[in-house]
Amino acid sequence: MTFHKTLGLALAFMLAAPPALAAEAQIGEPAPAFTLTGIDGRSVSLEDFAGQTVVLEWTNHQCPFVKKHYDGGNMQRQQAEATGKGVAWLVINSSAPGKQGHVTPEQARAIQAGWEAGQDAYLFDTDGEVGRAYGAKTTPHMYIIDADGVLRYNGAIDSIQSADVADIEKAEQFVEIALAELAAGEPVSRPLTRPYGCSVKY
Amino acid sequence: MRPLLPSFMLPVLLLGLLATAAPAPSHAQGEPPALRTDHLYSRLVAEDDAVVPGESLRVGLWLRHDPEWHTYWRNPGDSGLPTRIELGVPPGFEAGPIQWPIPERLPVGPLVNFGYSHTIVLPIEIRVPADLDADSITIRARADWLVCRVECIPGEGEYNLVLPVAEEAAGDPRWAADFARADRLQPAPAVGRAALSFTAETVEIRLPAQTTNAGGTAGDTGSRPEPATDIDPQWLFFPVTPDVVSNAAEPRWLDTGEGLALVLPKNDYFVAEPARFEFLLARGETGKRFEARPVTGARGAAADGAGAAPVEAAGSAAGAGAPGAPRLPAAPGILLALGLAVLGGLALNLMPCVFPVLFLKAAGAIEAADDRGRLRRQGLYYTAGVVLSFIAVAGLLLALRASGEALGWGFQLQSPVFVAALVLLFFVLAMNFAGLLEFGGRLAGAGQRLTQGSSDRAAFFTGVLACLVASPCTAPFMGVALGVALTLSAPAALAIFAALGLGLALPILALGWVPGLARLLPRPGPWMQTFRQLLAFPLLLTVAWLMWVYGEQTSASAMSWLLAALVGVAFGLWLLRIHWRWPGYALLALCIALPLLRAPAPSAPAERAAGEAAAMHERWTPARLAQLRAAGEPVLVNMTAAWCITCLANERVALSSGVVRDALRARGVHYLKGDWTSRDPQITAYLESFGRSGVPLYVIYPADGGEPVVLPQLLTADMVRRAIEKI
Repeated sequence: MTFHKTLGLALAFMLAAPPALAAEAQIGEPAPAFTLTGIDGRSVSLEDFAGQTVVLEWTNHQCPFVKKHYDGGNMQRQQAEATGKGVAWLVINSSAPGKQGHVTPEQARAIQAGWEAGQDAYLFDTDGEVGRAYGAKTTPHMYIIDADGVLRYNGAIDSIQSADVADIEKAEQFVEIALAELAAGEPVSRPLTRPYGCSVKY
Repeated sequence: MRPLLPSFMLPVLLLGLLATAAPAPSHAQGEPPALRTDHLYSRLVAEDDAVVPGESLRVGLWLRHDPEWHTYWRNPGDSGLPTRIELGVPPGFEAGPIQWPIPERLPVGPLVNFGYSHTIVLPIEIRVPADLDADSITIRARADWLVCRVECIPGEGEYNLVLPVAEEAAGDPRWAADFARADRLQPAPAVGRAALSFTAETVEIRLPAQTTNAGGTAGDTGSRPEPATDIDPQWLFFPVTPDVVSNAAEPRWLDTGEGLALVLPKNDYFVAEPARFEFLLARGETGKRFEARPVTGARGAAADGAGAAPVEAAGSAAGAGAPGAPRLPAAPGILLALGLAVLGGLALNLMPCVFPVLFLKAAGAIEAADDRGRLRRQGLYYTAGVVLSFIAVAGLLLALRASGEALGWGFQLQSPVFVAALVLLFFVLAMNFAGLLEFGGRLAGAGQRLTQGSSDRAAFFTGVLACLVASPCTAPFMGVALGVALTLSAPAALAIFAALGLGLALPILALGWVPGLARLLPRPGPWMQTFRQLLAFPLLLTVAWLMWVYGEQTSASAMSWLLAALVGVAFGLWLLRIHWRWPGYALLALCIALPLLRAPAPSAPAERAAGEAAAMHERWTPARLAQLRAAGEPVLVNMTAAWCITCLANERVALSSGVVRDALRARGVHYLKGDWTSRDPQITAYLESFGRSGVPLYVIYPADGGEPVVLPQLLTADMVRRAIEKI
């Protein structure tokens, strides 16, 4: 029995520990993958949209800041313009059961229809896993993922932090600007802004 | 700008007068009742009952929140919106900014907001023109806010306030108490400027030197700048400038030697280094407002080796009875960490488990003292063995961490299999040292090569062995160096571990290269045999201790099986000695392989906790700590592990002493103990939140949610008592 054999044996045992994982969305890095169930009961994965620019919108229909952008027509207008250009627009609801904004698929359908929203999919993240992986803090909180699956924008929908519909037209629309820059093959000029709104009800 | 009169004196005097006269009617000047919006009463109020030309007047937005509801500070934190006030004043009047009182910290899940609950006045000062010619004036205001519990509701209001113009004004007693409170809650500007520096992940804020005196630097009248002499880590931190530092994280406090510094993680929305950063430090109703500017050229205390001596290292060098209350550990820079690592490695040579191995090598050196060339070559091989093994272990640690494992230094010892392997190793070494085993056959080769140090390969593997046996004896020096190592880039981390190995190998290396040193060695002789036998006992002591660690990690029955395996190993070696080769080898293989291959499952924490029920401490869990802190209870946290000698020494000398026990009881401090003997990712995360990668860690949380204080890694009973009494 030599000593280095003992060492080798001990090291071999130490290597047997299973690795864990930790993910946090970072600009310029691949966006965290996810698979969630939509209002129609079908699962939707981020990778289904490979080759397409994807916008993620965190929502809570009872939040005054979400209402501001839907009541003012801003969100629907941007959804229609983006999807018209081949961008995929995914709405994600991370409200936990019993918390504000948690809805059934039927309610979600009615809410989005009432607003005449034009998203490609409305997804439930009831356990908040995807929200935490992306670091979603507020509703609304917006992300843009490019055709290669790389995160390009994380932040607010626009530049004026208020719940006042009248501020929409005075504000710079960050998501719209970033999408235009990406479409032109330019880097996103402001990839990270502070989101504003209600806290996500994890 | 503040009023010329001490703002709280007049209303208080008047209140006294009025109390003896008629009670003030609730709407003396036709004041409209408070505006009721969702979960909030609001109104525009004035501090005085009249406007005096040429003087200043304070008005304020008076807010009374429903219980549990709040509105926000100028920096609302992770969500929310600041309250906005637009004043409409007559021509010639000038309104100043909102004089924001110190806010409350409002945690919401993982986020933290800053704001106000209950009743608060947000004052605004107005300059009244000297040539005012009117009987009365009207001040208008429009305000909007976000009022939240968990859910949020935006609100707004419009207000009119009519005030008579008079030669003299008296305080309005209805709002006197609210204005007085807003005044007490005004942060005073601090003397001097704080310095900002940045790393990839953190922002460090050095407070201005504490010796600064309050001089006539005040631009503001009425608010005297105060020196930051009484700041300590129990003060709460509030960032005024948003998007620079994390709102939720509690700062890590450092003692730089020239003053305090705070380290905070960067905000998730940190985009560029700000030219200017404003923040408050507050304790109770006392607050100080600081302005910080980036340091150019220097990189702050954490990177400035000489400026920030880590307090633990100073404590262990000067002896554990260092004067003064517990001080704050500082994070040393890379050069300092490298130096500490070399020193730590050097100190490891004196540890009871390493010293006998050192003797193995030294014994070789004694016999080779005349052959300088061989001494040098073997010194280099030995050094290579030590340094490469340290790099290998560190590389493995970093690789496992990169894959997401929650591990820290000492992680090897969290595996019972590794501990069992060490027990067997130390036992065989001890038998060999004691002379109870004279190996025969092929085994003799390995044994003699090691003891006589004649081959290069043996020198190399003695180095590997030294690294292996050093692993349980984490010297206090290494805590700091390795804590820094694990936060650095991989090359820097490996450099620190290599430096540690170099320190460990240094004495042997020096023998070959420092002229005359080898000649100082004692002459070889029969004494070497006696000394060698003597060294068997520290090795056996190490076996006893590791056996206990193994028992803590597993169970008494598993420990007994390991003991039986040791007897089997001894018997197998004896069989070899009487030339019963094959039974001997078979028994050895069996007794060594079985404890390693059939590793017993670590005992469940609950099982171990049951044994602690009678003790004065409770088991640490993040939930229990959060619960106690939420209840405003003071808490002492002790993070320990059975294989950590420093931890055990501290518990014996300080934490279990009568002095500390009495102090804990007298102050009603809850004592929570976290056991990192086996892997526990929650404890690893907790250690990392204090910039540590290993145990021991001692943290005292004062009552009522004050900032935690980190104690040094070497404790005395008196030091702990003083720390407890200070909270």
